[in-house]
Amino acid sequence: MADLGVMALLLGLALSAYSAVGSIIGEKRGMAELVVSARRALYMTTLAAAVASGALINAFVQNDFSIKYVADHSNTLMDRAFVWVAFYAGNEGSLLYILLTLSIITALSVWFAPKRLARSMPWTIAILAVIQLFYFGVLAFVASPFELLGTVPGDGRGINPLLTHPGMFSHPPLLMGGLIAITIPFAFVSGAMIAGNYGDDWIDVARVSAIISWGVLGTGMLLGAWWAYTILGWGGYWAWDPIENVALMPWLVMTAFIHSVMVQKRRGMFRMWNVALLNIAFVLAQLGMFINRGGPVVSVHSFAASTLGVIFLIFMLASLVFAFALFLWRMPEMKSDRAMESFISREASFLINNFLFLSVMAVTLWGVLFPLFSDLARDVSVSVSAPYFDRANGPVLLGIVIMMGIGPLLPWRKSSARSLKQWFMWPTLVGVLTIVVLVALGVQRPVAILAFGVVAFVATAISEEWWRGTAARHQAGDNWLLAWWRLVNGNRPRHGGYIVHISILMLGLGIIGTNFYQQRTDGALSLGESLVIDNYRIEYVGNGDESRRDRIAQWAEMSVYRIDTNDYSTEIAVARDEGLSGFTLENSEVRPNDELIAQIQPWHGFYPDFNMASVRSGIRSTIVEDLYVIPRDFLADGRISLAVSINPLAWWLWASGPFFILGTMVALWPQSSVERRSKHQKVPAAPDDNEGEL
Amino acid sequence: MASRYPFVLSGSRAFPGKSIAISTSLFLLVLAFSAGGCIREEDITLEQRAHQLAGELMCPVCEGQTIDGSNAQIAQDMRLKVRERLDAGDTNANIRDYFVVRYGEEILAAPKGSGFNLLAWIVPVVIVLGGIGIALTMINNMRKSTERSAVPTAPAEDDLSMYLEQVDKDLGVADQANQSDKAHS
Ligand code: HEM
Ligand code: HEM
Repeated sequence: MADLGVMALLLGLALSAYSAVGSIIGEKRGMAELVVSARRALYMTTLAAAVASGALINAFVQNDFSIKYVADHSNTLMDRAFVWVAFYAGNEGSLLYILLTLSIITALSVWFAPKRLARSMPWTIAILAVIQLFYFGVLAFVASPFELLGTVPGDGRGINPLLTHPGMFSHPPLLMGGLIAITIPFAFVSGAMIAGNYGDDWIDVARVSAIISWGVLGTGMLLGAWWAYTILGWGGYWAWDPIENVALMPWLVMTAFIHSVMVQKRRGMFRMWNVALLNIAFVLAQLGMFINRGGPVVSVHSFAASTLGVIFLIFMLASLVFAFALFLWRMPEMKSDRAMESFISREASFLINNFLFLSVMAVTLWGVLFPLFSDLARDVSVSVSAPYFDRANGPVLLGIVIMMGIGPLLPWRKSSARSLKQWFMWPTLVGVLTIVVLVALGVQRPVAILAFGVVAFVATAISEEWWRGTAARHQAGDNWLLAWWRLVNGNRPRHGGYIVHISILMLGLGIIGTNFYQQRTDGALSLGESLVIDNYRIEYVGNGDESRRDRIAQWAEMSVYRIDTNDYSTEIAVARDEGLSGFTLENSEVRPNDELIAQIQPWHGFYPDFNMASVRSGIRSTIVEDLYVIPRDFLADGRISLAVSINPLAWWLWASGPFFILGTMVALWPQSSVERRSKHQKVPAAPDDNEGEL
Repeated sequence: MASRYPFVLSGSRAFPGKSIAISTSLFLLVLAFSAGGCIREEDITLEQRAHQLAGELMCPVCEGQTIDGSNAQIAQDMRLKVRERLDAGDTNANIRDYFVVRYGEEILAAPKGSGFNLLAWIVPVVIVLGGIGIALTMINNMRKSTERSAVPTAPAEDDLSMYLEQVDKDLGVADQANQSDKAHS
């Protein structure tokens, strides 16, 4: 197996080198056949990467512990399902996975590339081939997953215990895939720049491939956050950890891009800008690869840590130099067809939106780099973690959400005072009303109340547009649902975008709730005792053992009661006096208004080989709040030590995911020419459809 | 404003007003309901303050985690220490200083806003204000160059109102709307 894998890697190396060189020489010397052959070689690299990956997966499935990487990342005890995905649990294998993804999407995008890009394709292919060459080279010579062990161990070390979770099947492949997929739009645009194709020919390919990579990356981040929430046992989902940040930064820049590319498409503006955004996103994706593979910053999430840092640093710097040299070289040629006419226009709002996204990216980058900077400048170590990023990025993120309400309501070019009044009256009213209602209800924390108001403002803005369009179609005879569907279908990119915006609002609700209103308490319970927090009573009723050879694992059975705090007023008063948010009851007798609402089973495992604990929190989730029980430890005296929190609105974080995916797919769904022609004639075009089809 | 779009409450075809009002109240209801989870007693307990502080102190032995999130022995000890100092009546700043003296600046999850570390806080402000400044200047310059080159611009009526008129026509409320418009102009 190992031999086959090594051979496949070497073959891929040769093929991608040939493809890169052949494509460039063929294009320069006008040798059409060489260009074709170079392109076919690039298809073949997919096969090489697939064979290498197949060999590695097979070695895992066969428990072939003669291969070091297999012995380091699996054993015979682990659940069989994870054997299939353990190959991306560590550094070498995850690089192979990245290469496999890259070669597949390369082949697909080259195959489906539109004819009118023929002139720049050889350059695009050369760029893609060089990037593949880098990965084949690293895998073949520096970080081979097929290295053999001198003596074959009886069993492997096993997989990192944090990784045996359903998240393993989705988060790593999506995140790595999303990051590497940014290569595709970058390669197409750079190819066009080299070939001197300055027009808008590349726009559709770039938009589609950008949105795909962006959607995949976004979904991967959300799944990572969910994974952290359910397994890491610190009660949070986003820690502004460097690895999280390096995934977020390219995503932010890509978000800016998919908006500003609309301006190029509709108005022929922002060309240069769009090219620059893709360059930045690509370089940031490379930065991510670098930081995760032995970069100079500390992270809790270093499953792939290694000493490859230098190589990836060099590759990142090379991409940086290449991208910007190309950009500066071609900049004079890229002109806008038109110019901005007014501050109050959609294109102006997109420009502001872009700068806000870039600001968050730059501030985040600054936060990631500041500790290094401090080390170098004055030899003092500092930490830059969540409290910093919350404060530095929070206001701008809120600004982005506000713009998300304003931008879509503005027409292209410029707007009249009258139309502004018409469109902004309701959102503003509802936003303000929300704030008033929340204050009247006695909700605390001004910043959070403001943020709720903003969410309401944007939600109303979207509903208003949907409402008007749907009602118009409804009057024309469709039923409500059909009317809405026709509206969405009539301009999928736009309405898909709105669905995504709604998902961001849902995410926003969750972020506000969990950040501003979380309540926590700690406690240790013996069997039969209860912990009370707010209006919950959690009773420890039983436990079980799930230890295996590689772990000491236990779970607890707990009954969750909703209580009437009046039944517990004496205890609550005592706890308040002591400054506690929760308290323990030795006697768990059921009081009159206690109502059993859930059973939860928090689980705790310790893995001696890894000297590492892994937990599954007990979560009782409703759309209002989550009761979240972390089993910190099973103590020697038989008690279980718990950290309990109430996380308001946490449900919305995860509910946003399906909407995010749905909206992205709607925006991407191709519009067939037949449909375009048969569009309802009677129904008015959307506000800006007079400038041609999107 | 008597009639046009959102507030038309009279007449059977006056679609936007009534229904927007209904959907808005529905929305508010949902919001108020979910806000239910966010109503808390006003004074923060010492325990909440302890958690908040624990989230601002790094765990010295775990990479990139705060003591609030970590279960390492030292993190547990530090949490107890935080609690002890709070009970003794220390302010948050006192407690942070207490740990800085013992573990160095690295123990703070966010650098202090003074001395060299002020840079950590100033640069973001510069980035954001600078970014917005550049964006506004760019728009302004482009706008001026449009004026200078006197590109013929669109008719005074903008895209949105044309759209709205079309909607009105389809709904048969156009006349009414136009009349009220005239009455007001
Ligand atoms: C908000 C949460 C998270 C974010 C933003 C995030 C980000 C990332 C990124 C950027 C990568 C790709 C790195 C690369 O290959 O260059 C990655 C890979 C991976 N992540 Fe996460 N992650 C998150 C949470 C988690 C959690 C909670 C786990 C497991 C407990 C996890 C496990 C993995 C694994 C196994 C890989 C593949 C191996 C590797 O490349 O390190 N992630 N994640
Ligand atoms: C995190 C925040 C945001 C996300 C994830 C997001 C996402 C999206 C997506 C995916 C689309 C569809 C794009 C396409 O199909 O090509 C879209 C469209 C749109 N976005 Fe955003 N957006 C965000 C913030 C904003 C902001 C701040 C603005 C304000 C200017 C805005 C204005 C728009 C508009 C006007 C459209 C529809 C354009 C059209 O087709 O008419 N978005 N958005």
